[in-house]
Amino acid sequence: MDTRTSTHSPSPSRVGAARIGIGGPVGSGKTALIERLIPAFAARGVSLAIVTNDLVTAEDAERIRRSGLIDPARVAAVEAGACPHTVIREDPTLNIAAADDLEALFPDVELILIESGGDNLASTFSLDLVDWWMFVIDVAGGDDIPRKNGPGVLKCDLLVVNKTDLAPYVGVDLAAMAAQAATARAGRPMALTNCRSNEGVDAIADRIVSDVLFR
Amino acid sequence: MLRIESVLGSRSDPAMHEAIHHLEHHHAVEFVTVAVGDLDRRRLMARTDKGEEVAITLPRDQKLHDGAVLVLDHHRAVIVRAGEQRWLRFTPRSASDALELGYHAGNLHWRVRFDGEDLLVAQDGQASAYAARIEQLISGGRVEMSEEAE
Repeated sequence: MDTRTSTHSPSPSRVGAARIGIGGPVGSGKTALIERLIPAFAARGVSLAIVTNDLVTAEDAERIRRSGLIDPARVAAVEAGACPHTVIREDPTLNIAAADDLEALFPDVELILIESGGDNLASTFSLDLVDWWMFVIDVAGGDDIPRKNGPGVLKCDLLVVNKTDLAPYVGVDLAAMAAQAATARAGRPMALTNCRSNEGVDAIADRIVSDVLFR
Repeated sequence: MLRIESVLGSRSDPAMHEAIHHLEHHHAVEFVTVAVGDLDRRRLMARTDKGEEVAITLPRDQKLHDGAVLVLDHHRAVIVRAGEQRWLRFTPRSASDALELGYHAGNLHWRVRFDGEDLLVAQDGQASAYAARIEQLISGGRVEMSEEAE
């Protein structure tokens, strides 16, 4: 890769860690996906930090800190206190500050995952906060979710359909659900995962390394 | 692949304008078209109009904009060109319909402009997705929707 220099040099300012968002409804598997992505990024040599958002607790952050998968100091918690989408879209100041703090504490960090508190299908991320974001839905939430055209499903850079293993137990035709999601998103990227068995997670890690870290 | 890690300035900057003008005479100015909705990104992959892949990673205090200069040396310039912004025009039939339309536009976080008695909404996606959100207003003849480019 060629990094060009210029005869016109701007004032120096640092390119920081990439920041990606992980949104989606309560219980869709956002935290489970993170727990799978941590070792996947470690295997790819990516230095990682994590910001979680909860309504009034640090439940998700504590779960990840206790997992033994990552240095607990690399996990920060933001308590939204109100509508979770507010702190990732309208005023992401708290999350920006949390990510800045992690970068200051760990200058080697290359990627920061920012997990939104569970919200409905309308939640989207501000591009002031993240460079790229995914939205996690799950099969058990209903095969009609892609048809509802929620902004989270339509606008995300990657739609993740999780818990594919549950499809036969909840009467969902997974192929039809995936086809409807692809139609709703006009062919933009989608991934099918079963985080409990780690299916589909490597493909997501590879996509992030390629599309966001440009490796 | 060309990796860009800062915006050098704007093509309208007097200091850059002359150098770019000189390069234009030598057909050495390339453009990277970035969709309006992607201008807020600090990281994205794009391609110049001559086909070179460009990986853009900017510091948090910088942003892309129409005319942002990414490369400027003695041999060439690479400049950002903002993609076309399409707008949807909503024409309410009455003041009460306009009031209700305004409520929905705010509730849906649409980016809007005003044009006389019409509301213009920045289009990011299919027009049908916007119409579906205010289907009752449109099917009831209370608001008309039409598409237009900037």
